[in-house]
Amino acid sequence: MSRYVLTRIASTGLVLVGVSVLTFFIAHVVPADPVLAALGQHAREDQIQAYRHAYGLDQPVVVQYVQYMRRLAGGDLGLSIRTRRPVASDLAEFLPATVELGSTAWLIALLLGIPAGILSAIYKDRLADHLVRIAALAGAAMPVFWLGLLLLGSLYYRLHWLPGPGRLDLSIVPPPPRTGVLLIDSLVAADGPAFANALRHLVLPGLTLGLFSTAVIARMTRSAMLEVLNQEYIRTARAKGLTRLRVLMHHALRNAMIPTLTVIGISFGNLLSGAVLTETVFAWPGLGRYATASAVSLDFPAVMGVTLVVAVFYTLANLVVDLLYARVDPRIRYE
Amino acid sequence: MRIRLVLAMVVIGTLLGPQMSSRAATAADTLVYVNDISDMISLDPAVAYEFSGILAATNIYDTLVAFEGEDLTTLKPRLATSWFIRDSGSRWSVTLKLRPGVKFSTGRPVTAKAVAFSFDRVIALNKSPAFLFKEVAGMNEGDTIPVGTDTVVVSLPKTASPQAFLSVLTFTVAAIVDPDEVMAHQVGTDRGEAWLRNHSAGTGPYTLDRWDPESRVVLVANPNYWGPKPNLPRVIISHVPESSTQKFLLESGDADIAADLSPEQARDLATKPNVTTQKGKLLQLVYIGMNAKLPPLDNPKVREAIRASIDYDGIIRNLLRGEAKKVQTIVPDGLFGYNPSAPFQQNIAQAKQLLREAGKGDGFSIELLVPTGPAPGGVKWADLGAKVQSDLAQAGIKVEIKETAQAQLLNVYRAQKGQMVMILWGPDFPDPDGNATPFADYEAHSLAWRNQYSDADASKLAKQAALEPDLMKRQALYRQLTEKVLHEGPYVILYQPLKRFGLRANVSGFVWNPMAFAEFRTVSK
Repeated sequence: MSRYVLTRIASTGLVLVGVSVLTFFIAHVVPADPVLAALGQHAREDQIQAYRHAYGLDQPVVVQYVQYMRRLAGGDLGLSIRTRRPVASDLAEFLPATVELGSTAWLIALLLGIPAGILSAIYKDRLADHLVRIAALAGAAMPVFWLGLLLLGSLYYRLHWLPGPGRLDLSIVPPPPRTGVLLIDSLVAADGPAFANALRHLVLPGLTLGLFSTAVIARMTRSAMLEVLNQEYIRTARAKGLTRLRVLMHHALRNAMIPTLTVIGISFGNLLSGAVLTETVFAWPGLGRYATASAVSLDFPAVMGVTLVVAVFYTLANLVVDLLYARVDPRIRYE
Repeated sequence: MRIRLVLAMVVIGTLLGPQMSSRAATAADTLVYVNDISDMISLDPAVAYEFSGILAATNIYDTLVAFEGEDLTTLKPRLATSWFIRDSGSRWSVTLKLRPGVKFSTGRPVTAKAVAFSFDRVIALNKSPAFLFKEVAGMNEGDTIPVGTDTVVVSLPKTASPQAFLSVLTFTVAAIVDPDEVMAHQVGTDRGEAWLRNHSAGTGPYTLDRWDPESRVVLVANPNYWGPKPNLPRVIISHVPESSTQKFLLESGDADIAADLSPEQARDLATKPNVTTQKGKLLQLVYIGMNAKLPPLDNPKVREAIRASIDYDGIIRNLLRGEAKKVQTIVPDGLFGYNPSAPFQQNIAQAKQLLREAGKGDGFSIELLVPTGPAPGGVKWADLGAKVQSDLAQAGIKVEIKETAQAQLLNVYRAQKGQMVMILWGPDFPDPDGNATPFADYEAHSLAWRNQYSDADASKLAKQAALEPDLMKRQALYRQLTEKVLHEGPYVILYQPLKRFGLRANVSGFVWNPMAFAEFRTVSK
């Protein structure tokens, strides 16, 4: 098992090299000049050349890539063309907010999606099933941007039940940054009001971001459960006189979780990388907006940094999912 | 099970319990200004050259002289109480007398040495705004000389415009920082740049309390401020990138001023209670550049025909919903030297006549490069392009629109390869030379060069006007130049956009400076 984990972690390195090659070369075939994007139309030719030289952009692409990888091996992600700071510092600043939001959305998706899928499967073709399926369809089809504005407009602007955009009310002083995740930082600082406020601020963006994944997880759980519920061993378990709950939770759900786990793992990666629109609507200072701003200004080092971080999350989420398969289904073993 | 129930109750209580706080208006002593501040990369005045960074830095630092409110034509004293320009033969000398008794927020006095340090620091760091000192004013380290403790003399080369230099002095790049405080935080040879990115050491009405990137900037009143205390001792510039969200916050009372409203949102707000809207001038010009060497645009009559074909009033009235001013000369309204002459409005008969005189009576085809995304004033570039296309079609000119990302469009434009290019221009500093030289002087390798408009008289006039220290004579030179380029130049100036703010009804004293910032000290509520 541990050998398997080590092999997988090593293969993650290979995946990252592949991702870096693809991102680097795709970024460099874009027919636009990052230096002009950074300096704007007022810059003179000598300034442009000096800037290009300072960032090594006057070198052949292959040389640039080798230099980039050499620096990366030393843990240096380079300097952002847009913010003119080390990309690593930028990522450290913006990643925690996205991790906090993405994790919340993911938890919401799990807590709503799995029970909804189970309910829908148990009450197949009955009212509960129809409701879940309609809700799942709506959740999967609704544009995130529109949903965010809808939730803000109703629960914040009209009803005042929940706070508006941002991670904290403006009247709340953020706790000293330790991890950048406000829920953790406020707990460490024993700052109850900040914790409660941060939690409330997470609800609307968390729902907005998590609804799509909720819908996907609910639909996957439903179909997997339906398949399992028709198996012989479920009938046997029922015939043995086990309670309905025990049959569902211990026999059906456990087996139905294999395909669902795959979706759950992928959705975690999606939530971290797909938060751009939610972050825009809710003024959330996260990685999604950083990635967009970097892409728009052709900030290659920053785009590379974000891509690598997201790739790490994806591969780790996949590894965790693979390991969980073995936990859920004892027939699966990793040698 | 019981534990789960208690946990559930705690979570629900947390979420819904203190809900009344969502209703609260902003604190009485605090101004909440919502704005997209994602471009903010540093609050060091020697580094900041982005809109939001300049907005914050303007309120933290003072300059020697300033343009106050909307007036960019009259220099007002700030840290300098008087100044004069002297022609000392081979160079210009600009002497500035400092205001006595001014202290930095740190408590240290402002001296002539601090001014020399601040200016030399900008040149040494050589960040984005440094070109204003190095290129526009032709300054080097050591050109700012302290004379005693209260006088500085800045020596400029004869190739630089002393009036343009005074205009540069109003900008945050020329802010005075506390040398002792800055150097106490120096890392390596950075002259305190890393520290000053998110700390402050100035004399302005506010000091920096905190900056959480992409989140908020909090300013608090400077206890050592030399001028009248700010009406509101605390300002929060809150990062809200989406204009619909800004509108929600304003209407809910969670924001006092919303900075990025679309014309539709502003119109909607006008009908709502407790909020008002206010216009702000901008110095940008949205224009079409015509390549003056490419036939048939090389014929001035063809260029004049194009100018005569466009329905400027319709663009402003229908596309921009009135959120723009009709300006047709190369110096925008608000700057010294502005020429209000606007002779063009769609006149198809005149346009056709001009085309006939140019031998193009049957019309011609031409390519128009248009950027992607929104243009200033709340309209899409593509819609503006489509309007121009349909206007020119009436005169028999067939326009092929090519929508291109701005960075890519600039590549073509800079290489003199555009036929017609629709884009905007804003001056780097509040002086007519920030527009006149780029638009008129081919040798400056800027807009005139990109459009291959090489006119020796226009170049000469631009240089002469830039260097003229006498304001009356300078005004006359700009009048002459703007009239000349209006008819002979390779530009169709479409409009000068306005910016629309939403304000809570109790907010007063907010004035937008057309150089794209506001001084919060005058705001009250």
